[in-house]
Amino acid sequence: MNDPNQGDGLIVSRRSFLKSFGTTAAAAATAQVDVVAQDLQKANTEKTYGPEAVPITLNVNGKSLNLRVEPRVTLLEALRNHSNLTGAKEVCDRATCGACTVLMNGTPIYSCSKLAIESQGHEITTVEGLATNGKLSNVQQAFIDQDGLMCGYCTPGFVMSVTALLQRTPRPTADQVKHACAGNLCRCGTYPRIMQAAFKAAGLPVASNSEVLSYAKLA
Amino acid sequence: MPSWPEQRTLIGSHAKRIDGPAKVSGAAKYASDVQPDGWLYGMVLRSKWPKAKITNINLEKALKIPGIKAAIMDRPGERTVRYYGEELAAVAGTTKQACLDALRIIDVEAKPLPFVVREQQAKEDSSPRVWDDTPNLSKPRVNEKGEVDKAFADCTAIAEGFYTTPVQLHHPLETHGNTVSWIEGELMAWSSTQGVSSVKDGFAGNLKVPQSQVRVVSEYMGGGFGSKFGQGVEGSLAARLSKEAKAPVKIFLTRFDEALAVGNRPSSFQKIKLGATADGKLQAFELESYGTAGIGSGGVSEGGGGGAEFPAPYIYTVPNIRVRQSGVNINAGSARAFRAPGHPTASFGMESIMDELAVKLNMDPVELRIKNDPSEVRRKEYQLGAERFGWKDKYKKPGTSTGPVKTGVGCAGATWGGGGQGTQAEARINPDGTVEIRCGTQDLGTGTRTLIALIAGDLLGLKPEQIAVRIGDTQYPPSGGSGGSTTAASVSPAIYDVCTKAKAELESKTGVSSGDAEKWSAACKKLGVEPLVVSGKWQQGLSSSGAGGVQFAEVEVDTETGFTRVKKITCVQDGGLIVSKLTCESQVNGGILMGIGYALYEERIMDDLSGVVLNPNFETYKLTGLADAPEIDILLLDMPERGVIGIGEPVTIPTASAVANAVANALGVRVGSLPITPARVLTALTGKSSSSPSA
Amino acid sequence: MKSFQYATAASPVSARELRGENGRYLAGGIDLLGEMKEYIAEPNILVNIKSLPGLNKIERGAQSWSIGTNVTIAELENHAELKSIFPGLQQAAAEVGSQQIRNVATVGGNLAQHSRCWYYRHRDIQCLKKGGDTCYARHGENKYHSLFTGNTCISPVVSNLSIILAALDATVTIQRGEKEVRLTIPELYAKAWDNPTSHHSLEPEDLVMKVEIPVQQRRSAYLQVSEKSAFDWALVSCAASAKADGGKLSQARVVLGAIANVPHQAQAANELLEGKVLDDSLANQVADVILAKAQPLSQNAYKIQIARTLIRRTLAQLKA
Repeated sequence: MNDPNQGDGLIVSRRSFLKSFGTTAAAAATAQVDVVAQDLQKANTEKTYGPEAVPITLNVNGKSLNLRVEPRVTLLEALRNHSNLTGAKEVCDRATCGACTVLMNGTPIYSCSKLAIESQGHEITTVEGLATNGKLSNVQQAFIDQDGLMCGYCTPGFVMSVTALLQRTPRPTADQVKHACAGNLCRCGTYPRIMQAAFKAAGLPVASNSEVLSYAKLA
Repeated sequence: MPSWPEQRTLIGSHAKRIDGPAKVSGAAKYASDVQPDGWLYGMVLRSKWPKAKITNINLEKALKIPGIKAAIMDRPGERTVRYYGEELAAVAGTTKQACLDALRIIDVEAKPLPFVVREQQAKEDSSPRVWDDTPNLSKPRVNEKGEVDKAFADCTAIAEGFYTTPVQLHHPLETHGNTVSWIEGELMAWSSTQGVSSVKDGFAGNLKVPQSQVRVVSEYMGGGFGSKFGQGVEGSLAARLSKEAKAPVKIFLTRFDEALAVGNRPSSFQKIKLGATADGKLQAFELESYGTAGIGSGGVSEGGGGGAEFPAPYIYTVPNIRVRQSGVNINAGSARAFRAPGHPTASFGMESIMDELAVKLNMDPVELRIKNDPSEVRRKEYQLGAERFGWKDKYKKPGTSTGPVKTGVGCAGATWGGGGQGTQAEARINPDGTVEIRCGTQDLGTGTRTLIALIAGDLLGLKPEQIAVRIGDTQYPPSGGSGGSTTAASVSPAIYDVCTKAKAELESKTGVSSGDAEKWSAACKKLGVEPLVVSGKWQQGLSSSGAGGVQFAEVEVDTETGFTRVKKITCVQDGGLIVSKLTCESQVNGGILMGIGYALYEERIMDDLSGVVLNPNFETYKLTGLADAPEIDILLLDMPERGVIGIGEPVTIPTASAVANAVANALGVRVGSLPITPARVLTALTGKSSSSPSA
Repeated sequence: MKSFQYATAASPVSARELRGENGRYLAGGIDLLGEMKEYIAEPNILVNIKSLPGLNKIERGAQSWSIGTNVTIAELENHAELKSIFPGLQQAAAEVGSQQIRNVATVGGNLAQHSRCWYYRHRDIQCLKKGGDTCYARHGENKYHSLFTGNTCISPVVSNLSIILAALDATVTIQRGEKEVRLTIPELYAKAWDNPTSHHSLEPEDLVMKVEIPVQQRRSAYLQVSEKSAFDWALVSCAASAKADGGKLSQARVVLGAIANVPHQAQAANELLEGKVLDDSLANQVADVILAKAQPLSQNAYKIQIARTLIRRTLAQLKA
């Protein structure tokens, strides 16, 4: 593979590449296919897109989403404004709150801070993609069971973060849950129950934090 | 007089939140999610000047941006803007990007004027005036009782202090906004709101549309905390753009905008003096305070949550008082009601001085409170809470904790009105046995939907799954706005009434008594083809007002770094008749965590030189995070004889006070300004003044 | 954001070519996109450098560990061997942002990130660092700002990695035009000391290639204090490293972050520790030297106390 440190011979500028080869499949077939494929890839890689809208294809929840968006459109905007996948929410648009969290190849990222054009070729999972055949996932059900939600606006983001955590760490400690969810904010204040939901989904014991007493029965 | 059934299965249970599945799956469509056909993206242009005369706004170039379908001014002609962020104009286009480009190209001609953004400066005569013909500082509202000076002279112990609280921002996660569409002259708005009726009235009045031609829907909404009533300037702009562009327009504010123009909790600067006799009975109280509610503070408002005043001496009985409260205008966005308006502010000053007095009296802080609290319920709550919390073991004299990381404990109490009235509801019983309950109320995450399902379930003998709850639509029977912790107490009796009536009518119409599931099915079948539709409304005797509540806090303060960690909060809260236990407990968690934000992290910061809000984001306006959450222990007092009362607000009132008292107990010195940051702790420990708001 | 073109570079040469006059390199994008959303940066092209070959590896060589510029902070945080050899590095990485940020943010990007000063970051304030006349923080809201600066700008360095890498004597290799240039951490930030409009010494077309940490038996630790428990910028951070021989420290480095425009250390303070057994009194002397010329402003004097505490506690971690 080309090593940038190895000297000019192997680094081919776009212009010289296009001079020495045609860009058609036929031309590729006449040369050492592997090298040419890589170089073709390289040539296409260095293609400039935009600034006007360009066609992109996103792999979201196992389906192809074909859109036309400008390079400056974020993945979050592509989901919310250019398709109907409104599960991921725009709350801060500045990588500070986690409401836009989606999984990219299983890894949680802030979709508000990822360009849609760069999200191609990856497996993107949103909250809409967690249920199978209409059955909610373990994590989703645990959020309901433990009431790890109130207004629900932060919930998709938290569900994605906890889902990813449990895929990596099936039986997390409280500290690991905190570390995984530090990038998600909740204004309604459901944190204790989000913590319980994570434990419940992991099959770990859940402690309750409340008791109800009858006032009339007090001395 | 109606009364809740003795036998309650669903009511008071931990049944799950019925809209949980919609929310965890992304299926729930908030007003910011809806996408009516052909919808356009809208954005608001805001003033960059804290005060200026705007002489011209040129929208021509904006209209030429590809994709832009409409551009309008907020109001015609010249105007004076009075805060950084005030609305000037708005655009609508086919993409967000087109709107961003359009906003950047709008020419605004402005003559900047002198401004002031700091309360301490604004109250001086020499300060620039926010409103030309009114002094920034209002005349104080005075409340006097007894003979306060004489009473102080007779006191054994007197404590004095100066306490400040910052401007706090609501920051609901779903920003303010509406998606508005005109369909044959009728206005349809999906709104993120606490009051669909208030939005409808707002649109009708502002746009001069008959009320009968306005419909507002808020099926799910992402938080409000008091700031989301009425259609807002952004709502009117969206509606006007939509009319102009002949397409639906969605305007939702950016997080940046949320910090500028849609409300806040006023600040406070409180000078307090409190005196007691040796037996611990409070005798004299004096408070002088000012605070800002933004551009509209000058005249002391008569209540309603927007002004800088607050109740004093809050929950305690003091026979001799002198209270003088003023508001001070600054060039910043107006305050709006924010979760228990005035009360967290009132509580902070009062509970701080109470603990200072306890030290002077050499008295246990809980004992001092019980001695002077007129509420029997709260006195009981202090006793229960102290025992549950382990107060006797944990409480030590201030500053006696050893080692660099000091522990301390504190407590505080709350009071709230709440109560409810005036809600109507409709029940539809279908021949297949399913039921629809319709009520034009709102669920802000508070659990209203669930509450309705549980009441209907118990009264009709059904499971929650058999009941379709439909709320958040002005087409449904009207209910009040969801503020003041009145929703549960307003809605519950109406649901009780409509279900009681529906059951009776079903039985009388079909001749079949509908006791259990089988009988219910049989009765409904007899309805034939038409559903049975019954109306009901709020009735006396099922709800009441007045809530109390006390909280205890345990903290750890690292005196070498100033870092404060809240280890535990114990809350004892009277819940009245608790309808939905699960959602009620979540409210308590939420109120406490918001109170911790007020105590340790939240502060809107203005810049003197430029007049801008310096922290219009979540990076430097800091909200409590998961890692910051303490252990929260909740004891709810079931008091069914009181009927349904409210809980949303009382639970956020005493938290910051309890935390501040715990910090003072740990350190032996008090941080008198919120938020209690490491900077303020270290400053207090070195003996310098710790009550400057931004140091 | 202003509209822009987008291209993926396959080599450092084409990265520079594609960047042209007014482009920016795009790695993780957290910092850059944030600036662009406020219109503080308006590049006409973003050049994706994440596909540059060989720059996303962590490799141990004979003399040094090599960490490619495109290694993510998460990869750094979770690298078991690095964690056991340079615990301070892992501690610093774990405190960067949130996991969502660490999953995309890169080592190069973390080092090259721009000021977090709230005046600099404000879309409607033309501060000194952005070419304006005034440092608003100097007489304004400065609780987060520097105790040390060589110029008028008081925006502190905020890269966690820069602090620990300084303490580990790391070097940064950059591609500057045709040449490869190797900089120490102090050299990487030197320009920010004297020059108010600089965040570091990188020229706009420089490409960070890798970081190298000399292989050595060094203990290391990193601590920070923030206002919140997690996902918060450091008020003050401290990294310390030293060789330890039977309880005696040698070749110690103590570096402070978030209190100067550059990673802050004092040679004299490091030398104080040479051959010594650490105790609190010595740690305090070290702090005295490091903080000797601190110039607190109206709101940031508290940082001095925090710095003293962190110096003592971070050094104490080297004892263990």
